[in-house]
Amino acid sequence: MYNNYGASYQEQWLQQMMEQKQLKDFMRMYSNLVSRCFDDCVADFTSNTLNDKELTCVNRCTQKNMKLNERIGQRFAEENAKLMEDQAKMGR
Amino acid sequence: MFGGVFGGGSQKPAGQMAPGGMGGGMGQAQMDPNAQLAAAEQEMEMVTDMFARLGDLCNRKCLIQRYSDEELTKAESVCTDRCVAKYFQVNREVSEKLAKLSQTN
Repeated sequence: MYNNYGASYQEQWLQQMMEQKQLKDFMRMYSNLVSRCFDDCVADFTSNTLNDKELTCVNRCTQKNMKLNERIGQRFAEENAKLMEDQAKMGR
Repeated sequence: MFGGVFGGGSQKPAGQMAPGGMGGGMGQAQMDPNAQLAAAEQEMEMVTDMFARLGDLCNRKCLIQRYSDEELTKAESVCTDRCVAKYFQVNREVSEKLAKLSQTN
């Protein structure tokens, strides 16, 4: 099916797919973050609004998890690069 | 952040996807473009999944001090670095072991 199109089509398709996946991934990360911060921070149900302690906790939770993901991303890229190098060396 | 991961981590795969062949990655000079794209998609799925798992696992194992601060503490930062490194090592060990096992079968 793709044989009739040039390389640029493939690259475009790949680009689009990457963007879609990134978006989907971001949505999933967001949902998980909300879940996690709710689970970790909210325990008091004597009221239907978040109290100050819970608010602070949620803020910190969000910040912290974003920073964690950032750091993991950096290390991941490094390790992945190493892995690619090793594979290339092994002549895969 | 994610752009950084995909930009840094998968720059090599994307480079290997250059038209006309897979380059050093797959060791095949001419690959059917359909298969190329399918392989690229597969690889991307794996990378995304791996990243999600890493995030979850390292969060569980490293963020012990429950939100005493907005920034990552030194201990948590070091723990995260080691977490990712060890995860990749486990990945290698398991794949080597599986390869050996499938050979003997």
